[in-house]
Amino acid sequence: MLEFNESLIAFDLQAKDAQEVIGLLAGNMHAQGLVSAEYGAQTLAREMVHPTGLPTKPFCIAFPHADAEGVNRSALGVAVMHQPVKFQNMADPDEGLDVMLVFMLANRDPEEQIQTLRNLAVLFGQPEKLVELRDQATLQAVASWLRRELRLS
Amino acid sequence: MGKLIVVACGAGINTSTMAEDSIKERVAQEGFSDVEVKRILMADIDGFLGRTDLIMVVSMMKIFRTFNVPVFQGMPFLIGSKQEKDELLDKIVEVIKKV
Repeated sequence: MLEFNESLIAFDLQAKDAQEVIGLLAGNMHAQGLVSAEYGAQTLAREMVHPTGLPTKPFCIAFPHADAEGVNRSALGVAVMHQPVKFQNMADPDEGLDVMLVFMLANRDPEEQIQTLRNLAVLFGQPEKLVELRDQATLQAVASWLRRELRLS
Repeated sequence: MGKLIVVACGAGINTSTMAEDSIKERVAQEGFSDVEVKRILMADIDGFLGRTDLIMVVSMMKIFRTFNVPVFQGMPFLIGSKQEKDELLDKIVEVIKKV
């Protein structure tokens, strides 16, 4: 079971850097008891060493996550940015990417969330879908769009 | 002897699982019964390179060294179109059939 609700979404977010985005999304998760208080710091520490920016088209996305430690219940947090924020490229940590969508997956067990991972990989591979998500008009519309596309209950 | 494919990523649990899942699905479709797909940390790769059953490395990160087996960059499994994913799987199947 993957926890996903409107309080885990940041909409039209203005943030100066990846740290701020990760801190906010992790804070939302912690407020609902889904992750430990340290989960944001753990995710950020991991992002520094093993970044998670992905060079998708027509704009980049990021997929920050930490290890299962600190996750009480698996959850998905999403940020739709007002303007791009820099994340480093997973495949090439020296390259900065302009990220418009951030998917933060707190995962207890990847096998348990395999269907969500599959659906995310399908979504990441479709430029027109990423644009559709970025262009949703309200936070509620983002939530229902993601529920539908990722087949979240 | 079985054929081992390792899928390596930086630290996380999610991205290598996405690639592992795609490869396993195709391996099952092709009916290969002797292929094992295993996700590992890139930091642990040296422990696998000496294994005689290792036939391929799929790396989610930039490949910065040479290996004694074929290496594929696995990023298309995360962000590629369906066609790009299928093309990469075709290449992987080709290697499996050859060894």
